[in-house]
Amino acid sequence: MPELDQLESRLDGLGEADFQRGLAVFRAKLKQADASYLNSCVHCGLCASSCHYHRMDPTLDNVPARKLELIASVFKRNFTTMGRLAPALVGARPLDREMAKAWVDAVFGRCSLCGRCSVNCTVGIALPKIFRAARAALGAMGLVPSDLQATVDNSLEHGNNMAMTRQDWVETVQWIEEELQMETGDPEAKLPLDKQGAKVLFTVNPREPKFFPLSLQASAKVFWAAREDWTMTADNGWDLTNYGLFNCNDEQAGRITQNLVDAMARLGCKTLVIGECGHGFAAARWEGPEWLRQNFPFEVKSILELMDDYVRDGRIRLDPARNPIPVTLHDPCNLVRHGGICEAQRRVLRQAVTTFTEMTPNREHNFCCGGGGGQLAMARYKSRRLQAGGMKAQQIKASGARIVVAPCHNCIDQLSELNKEYQLNVQIKTVAEMVADALVPNS
Amino acid sequence: MSPLHLGVLLALAWAILALGSMHRKAKAFGPASTFAKPAGDFRRGVRYAFTKGMAPWAKESVMLNLPSYGAGMVFHAGVITALGMLLLTLAGLRPAGLAMTLARLLTLAGAFAGAALLAKRLVNRELRGLSCPDDFVANLLCTAFALLAFAASFSAALAGAWLTEAILLLVYAPMGKIRHCFFFFTTRYHFGAFFGRRGTFPPGGSFHA
Repeated sequence: MPELDQLESRLDGLGEADFQRGLAVFRAKLKQADASYLNSCVHCGLCASSCHYHRMDPTLDNVPARKLELIASVFKRNFTTMGRLAPALVGARPLDREMAKAWVDAVFGRCSLCGRCSVNCTVGIALPKIFRAARAALGAMGLVPSDLQATVDNSLEHGNNMAMTRQDWVETVQWIEEELQMETGDPEAKLPLDKQGAKVLFTVNPREPKFFPLSLQASAKVFWAAREDWTMTADNGWDLTNYGLFNCNDEQAGRITQNLVDAMARLGCKTLVIGECGHGFAAARWEGPEWLRQNFPFEVKSILELMDDYVRDGRIRLDPARNPIPVTLHDPCNLVRHGGICEAQRRVLRQAVTTFTEMTPNREHNFCCGGGGGQLAMARYKSRRLQAGGMKAQQIKASGARIVVAPCHNCIDQLSELNKEYQLNVQIKTVAEMVADALVPNS
Repeated sequence: MSPLHLGVLLALAWAILALGSMHRKAKAFGPASTFAKPAGDFRRGVRYAFTKGMAPWAKESVMLNLPSYGAGMVFHAGVITALGMLLLTLAGLRPAGLAMTLARLLTLAGAFAGAALLAKRLVNRELRGLSCPDDFVANLLCTAFALLAFAASFSAALAGAWLTEAILLLVYAPMGKIRHCFFFFTTRYHFGAFFGRRGTFPPGGSFHA
């Protein structure tokens, strides 16, 4: 049965108990800040122009305040006095089948949780936090799109979201190690696996071993040049992705994060380094400790911060002349706006390329590529995703760059599709790939 | 004290108590956990949210909609001025000279801006779709409040109408979206704290070329 029909039949089968369960999860996810947000929207509508969905398809359903209102109406109906006494006056509505359907469309189908509306809201409402609560409620009602849930299930069952076997992973690492040794001419260039007591545990997106081994090789080359004491793990804990951030099931997200925590404990590493992945960074750095309700006994860093340290400390030397093609930088929402990693990648790139042009807008104002929020895993919304990505395509075209650097593998997937859809004719690379190309071997 | 003055005081007390109760209810949802080590100082984020982050040029959405934003600001200035005049009236005072001229200017401009925003809400299909009856009631009450404050400053005969309108406004304030007069500040605080803790605020980005 096609995914669309499956969801329709799940909606048709919803009963009162499902709605009550959804409401209970929704209530449990809300904190005092969220309650404040839900009491604050004045329906000014100015947020519309901040949303890439609305910019490319200016309809009411794409206005962030509209998406928020669908959720706020249920909040009012169930958790406010006026919502109970005068629902028509304040726009309070029950969570019923029709509303559940509207929620699915709004929070899964028309939002990448990028948070651009938050920084543009005249009041300051962090809309994605509310949308996450709604996604969690829908999950409790069995309404997470099945392909998105399948990605989470892969991680839970196989320890990585692409269901790679241990053998495939280990053999790929060994093969990349041989490639690295050939590239560097150094038989001691390694991609260490399960090195006990290594300082750094490096984690990757499964897309790298599966489809983009050169990306992993580039990171390894940087570690090699910096003489880093690093390792990866052969067992669970090598995959940095966590689509629990997108289905918003905290229990499942916590179990996936636990793989990383266990690997750190198993190997006795000091720093967990997240490869170039926006949501993976946000999940491990920011949400993971909250899901597991613990202070991590180790440091969590993005590889961007590590490379920035290497350049600053002179552990690697870069020759920008080796990257003469004009470069622009995409700011992944979960890494920059929600992650706080704004400048490290810029400092590194300025050392690694000859011509670096900022996109307009940039940093926390940058547009989402359209692939965030689990959109890449939800086939049913593909046409909307590509349309919404038009804003990013316009930014890239306007930059005049021929290489788009994107420190996020999900973004790279989306940008690759945009490259074809909008005939951008650009190369798309990671920061590590640019750095690896610019490396000047230390004497 | 006239019955209308007393009515305004009671309505004001109701508004404060009801908003306080709503604040307590919101707080009962509990704080978000903060196990992750901060990357920035939440206080700097809060400071930014209430200062530079409020500037029109800090938000692309505002720069793209300057007339609406400007109307909103004037509307708010008019209503706040009218509230100030109300408090002075309750205290038996009346602004004079330049202060009165300024108050009249602001309340009149505020009333016009409110009416313009109401018209926009009625005419603009997208904005109308976003709206519920509360949006119209809230605007009408505030617009009328500012307009009557202006009118009553010229004619004592209109003071009764203005004070009655003030009672309606204050009674309604916690019930509908006017409650953002309080929740704006808590939301702004949480917004600044969230992005400050993550090191995103104060920002360095730009939406300008």
